[in-house]
Amino acid sequence: MNIELYIQSGIVESYVLGLASPAEVAEFERLLPHFPLLKDALSDFEYQLELFAIDHEVPPPPGSRERIEARLRETPAVRRTIHEEKRYRREASGDYIRVEASSDQIKVHKYWRPAFIVIFILSKILLALAIYYFVEYRHAQKQIIQLEQQGGKKGG
Amino acid sequence: MSYLNDIILFNFIYCKIYLLKSLTPVTPTNMKDILKKALSAGPASALELLYNRYSGMLFSYILQFAPDRTMAGKQLVKIFSLLGPRLPAAFDSQLSIYCWLQIEARKIILEYTSKNVNEHPGTDEQPGVDGSLRVDGAPGIDGRRSGGGYFALLAEAPPEHQWVFRELFIYGRQKEELALQSGKDLAYISCTLRECLFIIRKNLG
Repeated sequence: MNIELYIQSGIVESYVLGLASPAEVAEFERLLPHFPLLKDALSDFEYQLELFAIDHEVPPPPGSRERIEARLRETPAVRRTIHEEKRYRREASGDYIRVEASSDQIKVHKYWRPAFIVIFILSKILLALAIYYFVEYRHAQKQIIQLEQQGGKKGG
Repeated sequence: MSYLNDIILFNFIYCKIYLLKSLTPVTPTNMKDILKKALSAGPASALELLYNRYSGMLFSYILQFAPDRTMAGKQLVKIFSLLGPRLPAAFDSQLSIYCWLQIEARKIILEYTSKNVNEHPGTDEQPGVDGSLRVDGAPGIDGRRSGGGYFALLAEAPPEHQWVFRELFIYGRQKEELALQSGKDLAYISCTLRECLFIIRKNLG
């Protein structure tokens, strides 16, 4: 088979634009793995077409994305997968700390973790300050007693 | 001071790596891989990816088939809401994701058009029955914006060529049907289409 003649027949363009008949599509897909030239012609045309599409891009009307999402939510099969997907995403992003779903466990939001850490550190600082001021207080008390004793001796 | 230099150097290298990563083109092969990963998380993720990347390109493509932006917007919504179950076929296809999307979009539009014509005969969505009347007619006479998109590439082609391409591409008619209705033979229609495709290819390059 003369592959160059085959390419020149416009089969690549017909195939990519969806204008080829089922028989032509079947023949093209059968030949494609055996002829690198055909594969190159296909890649080249696809590339040119994509560049053309990028150059002539038109933004869709506002609200299209929301309407698509709403339509997807209406479809039972997709609705179920969306629900599963949301759960998957939530688990993957770590929105919540995973806890065992048994009765003796509680579920806590992930924001509790830094809150607990802050509370723990604050409690340690306060404990250290309490010990420090207690020691200082004891030391001051001793000094007062010593000064009182010294004052008593001088007075006596 | 040397510590500060290290920080600046680190930030510079990091920015360079980030820029290189973001500027790496997405090839058709790795787009299929990216889409496959997205699909493994669920069809909504895959559709979101496709919408973010291709909605503008696809909308421009749909405008060739639709009479106005509102109708094209509706078609876009319809296409994306029907694409979910069809996505696995994209990986088996020999085409790139964008070209596969174009073909699927065209199929959906043509299905919708033929359904609409059967349910509401005589509406704007009806493909012309008497093709021969439009051979000498202006492009896009029926309201479709067939002056843009691929028709812009065919601007230099004779009106008859544009008509053949429009009937086959926009209305999804068969070559045999076209030959029968226009009174031309099949070889003539095939040859005209081939010339149209040649012009498109030449102007794309």
